[in-house]
Amino acid sequence: MKEKSRRFILVDILYISIMLLPILIGLVLTILTKPQAEGITITGARIFLRVSMPLQSLLITEAQIHSWLVMISILGLCLYLTHGLKTRQVRSRQHLAEWIVEKVDFLVKDSMGEYFMGFSAFIASILALSAFSSLLALFGLYPPTSDLNVVAGWAVLVFILITYYKSKCGPWQYMKSFTEPVPFLTPLNIISEVATPVSMAFRHYGNVLSGAVISVLVATGLQGLSRLLLGWLPGFFGGIPFLQIGIPAVLSIYFDVFSGCLQAYIFAMLTMMYVSGGFPLELYMKRKTQKKKLEVM
Amino acid sequence: MQSLDVISVNIWSILISLANLIILFLIIKKFLFKPVKNIMAKRDAEIEEAYASAEQARRSAAADEKAWQEQMEHAQEEADRVLQDATKNARYREEKMIEAARNEAEGIVRSARQEAALERKKATDEIRREIVEVSGALTEKLLNREINEEDHRAIIASFISEVGEGGPDE
Repeated sequence: MKEKSRRFILVDILYISIMLLPILIGLVLTILTKPQAEGITITGARIFLRVSMPLQSLLITEAQIHSWLVMISILGLCLYLTHGLKTRQVRSRQHLAEWIVEKVDFLVKDSMGEYFMGFSAFIASILALSAFSSLLALFGLYPPTSDLNVVAGWAVLVFILITYYKSKCGPWQYMKSFTEPVPFLTPLNIISEVATPVSMAFRHYGNVLSGAVISVLVATGLQGLSRLLLGWLPGFFGGIPFLQIGIPAVLSIYFDVFSGCLQAYIFAMLTMMYVSGGFPLELYMKRKTQKKKLEVM
Repeated sequence: MQSLDVISVNIWSILISLANLIILFLIIKKFLFKPVKNIMAKRDAEIEEAYASAEQARRSAAADEKAWQEQMEHAQEEADRVLQDATKNARYREEKMIEAARNEAEGIVRSARQEAALERKKATDEIRREIVEVSGALTEKLLNREINEEDHRAIIASFISEVGEGGPDE
């Protein structure tokens, strides 16, 4: 019994380290490679590696590495939460895991319907990846969601899903869906179809990036203000930017925590709405039953 | 170290990110949703089983109670019957005993009466004989002579019958 519990704790420690080590690695990497900032510098992700490939060279950027770290972290979290599941005398972590699963299931069922219940893991992964990526900013790491390419990748995947479900009733039905409600709106429909992933990607990326930009601007501005107002303090004290204490933290709570989580939620909600909204469920079911009837006959 | 522009599009990055989301989807499905769903289904099954077994236990308890009640009723009846039987038996035996006692008593009385009658008869016979002897001797002495045996006996017999008629009934 004791041996078992010791092993349990060891496995727990392993999972927790899978969860926390990526963040540590990210921190170390950032500290080692980040150049000293001079004034206001707002740039994209730093490029670690450049591999020449057709079309464009393949770039291994900070954003990608950080999103891999986030994925490993989430893997560790999943392993930790589902470690030692029991049917009775449940641990609190199992309560949390069940709560997450039930909430996501409920969300998906509520906004997509019974047919799309298989989407709940996908929605959970969007929520987790987006939220945790944005929350990386809390550690002072570059949040992958403020790189357009990362968010665009998710949006493209969502677009593929939308198109797949739209064309499930056959290509003809898919084409026809653009001419509704009136045929002359077809160009607008096509534009809005293409605009969906673009708007999703830009919304998410823009929100996170703008938060970072505002944070940097405010922090720099506060430094200047503090030098201006409190520069008369003698010697050493004059160099300390007192106004930078506290105020950026409040902004960080809004831009990093609140906005990050909100954007994750919005992205997930939009995914669900677009995928289930574009899918003609009734028509599909009707065709399915007809097909079955034909097969039976 | 170089940086990307703030707005830059790279197809490979997009593809990598797309693949990342798919991989994370698989991870979450395999390591979070599947085990949690499994354990929930298992728990549901266990609860269902517990309910079923509880229901069964309840039913069997109810059946037991019913059987027990029935048995109790039977027992009451049985007890009543046994008591009745016993009472009847006892009464019957009592009557029999009383009858037997009465019979016996009657027998005893009768035999006592018979014996008494016999005794009396014997006594009268004895007395009669003694009287005959005494009277014989008396007359012999009184007359002092030998009388005719024949006459004598006749006289005495008539005397005795006179006496017997005056005495208690025989």
